[in-house]
Amino acid sequence: MKLNLYNQRLLNIEQRTRRFMLGALGAMLLVLLLIAVKQDYFVRSTTIYFFAPNAQGLSKGMAVKFIGFKVGSVQDVGMQPNATVRVKVSLDDEYVHLIGLDAKARLIKEALVGESVVEIIPGSQQVRQVTQNSVLEFERGQDASSIAESMAAQLQPILNDMRQITAGINDPKGDIQQTLKNLNQVTGELRETVRQFTQLGVSGNQKLELVHGKLDKALDSVNTNLEVMDRSIPRLVEKADATLDNVQSATADIKRMTAESAGELPSFIHNTNALVQDSQEMMDGAKQSWPFNGWFSRPEAELLPVDGYVPPVKP
Amino acid sequence: MSMWWRYLLLTLQIGCVALLTACGQSEPMRNVRLEQAADHSHRAQRAFERGDYLTAMKRYEAAFELDVALENEEGIAIDALNLARVNQMLGRTEQAHAYLDGLLQDRAIRYADKYLAVAALRKSLLMLEQGDTKVVAAWLDKAVVWCGKDCAVEGAIDNVRAALALREGDAVRAAQWAERAMSETKDSSSLEYANALRYLAEARLMSGEHAVAARVADEVLALDKAMGAPEKIKLDLLLNARVHAGMGDTDEAARFNERASRIRTR
Repeated sequence: MKLNLYNQRLLNIEQRTRRFMLGALGAMLLVLLLIAVKQDYFVRSTTIYFFAPNAQGLSKGMAVKFIGFKVGSVQDVGMQPNATVRVKVSLDDEYVHLIGLDAKARLIKEALVGESVVEIIPGSQQVRQVTQNSVLEFERGQDASSIAESMAAQLQPILNDMRQITAGINDPKGDIQQTLKNLNQVTGELRETVRQFTQLGVSGNQKLELVHGKLDKALDSVNTNLEVMDRSIPRLVEKADATLDNVQSATADIKRMTAESAGELPSFIHNTNALVQDSQEMMDGAKQSWPFNGWFSRPEAELLPVDGYVPPVKP
Repeated sequence: MSMWWRYLLLTLQIGCVALLTACGQSEPMRNVRLEQAADHSHRAQRAFERGDYLTAMKRYEAAFELDVALENEEGIAIDALNLARVNQMLGRTEQAHAYLDGLLQDRAIRYADKYLAVAALRKSLLMLEQGDTKVVAAWLDKAVVWCGKDCAVEGAIDNVRAALALREGDAVRAAQWAERAMSETKDSSSLEYANALRYLAEARLMSGEHAVAARVADEVLALDKAMGAPEKIKLDLLLNARVHAGMGDTDEAARFNERASRIRTR
């Protein structure tokens, strides 16, 4: 009786242990499943790359966002032989069609204090969407401290300029004070200039009358020259007539020669054409038959060699 | 007739039949339009090689039109890349960019990576020529990704990186890229090997190593003469002039400049 009871208890313990083990195994599988979901193992993704000058702020597992939504994560950050950083990004396939090849990857902070994320800045919708192994341009966004530094750097020269301008205005030897003095002098001198200008107008009228007289004389001389030309032109026209006669007779000779050979030319051209065509056909036939087909290489479209030289200065 | 003779005759008959079959085999047929496109492309290449860029452009345009009509993807890619090169040679940078963008931004057809790598490389060269150094590195990175293993333009990519480093005034880095390009192209491309030597000479000149620069410049001049490239010979002579001017030998520099001025490149 006691032995039976002992066996029964042993059996109960065994069943409980089994249940506990199965429960633990189930919990473990559930945790693994949750990790896999979290790691996006069940999401179909597209890998793209971008190249950054340094790895500051970039880390594996970092979120990649597009208009505020998480669309992927950074898979790998590695150094290249040319000392740049290659960042491998996995994008959820669901959103890939929204991202064009001209989109940019920007490293930003979501708040003044917070984690950095990679934000995809959308490009033009007209451009082809990113595909596997596409490369995006990268730029580093500004955080609060860099904005403050940048503003301070931009404001500093403005403040310096303002200080200099104020000092310049107050300086009696400065440009502005000197300009005001000069302006006063100029106002006084302007009055004198107006007076002199009036005098100049009177003398100008007198000189114009003199010029008018000289112009009359010049026109007389032009008239004389035109008379001389009138006498010379008829002689020139006679010579040109003779030259044209000679040209006409030469043209007539050429026309006669052409007319004489006109009857033979079409048949000659026709025969030549036929001969060329026959030769072409014979060549084509020969090119396709053995053993000549091995002698002629078939024309193939070939890529021109890339010339990777760009002169540092134009020669 | 003995058995041996019979076997010998049989073997000879089989051999003859095999030989005739091999000789009589014809190449796979291409349709007339594809033949025409290939012919245009072939003639364009010959025109390009003799420096007749206008004829080359017209021929490549004809080939491109035919390949587009037949949707011959490989032909389209090759023609577009060649047209970009010819337009670049003619100084028509906008058209060159347009042909490359047509390949790189085509939404309907995905061209083979090897062509996209060349397109990205050509973009970087155009940008470098235009002095837009900021985007050159980005295009080179794209070219590297598309290039993959056994890439034919790896040496050229390294050469452009050397050029970029020279533009940025980094002689050490330029020399490193040039040396890497030399080792990659020594047995595969004389053109790129000569380019790498030229960049190395320029890097050495920049870092004040005039003796090394002079030696390398001499070597590249001899190489370009052997290849028969007038544009490159002129550049080499000018480089030699700069090297000798740097050494303080102004007479020799003047002689090299005079030699360069006598070369008509077109």
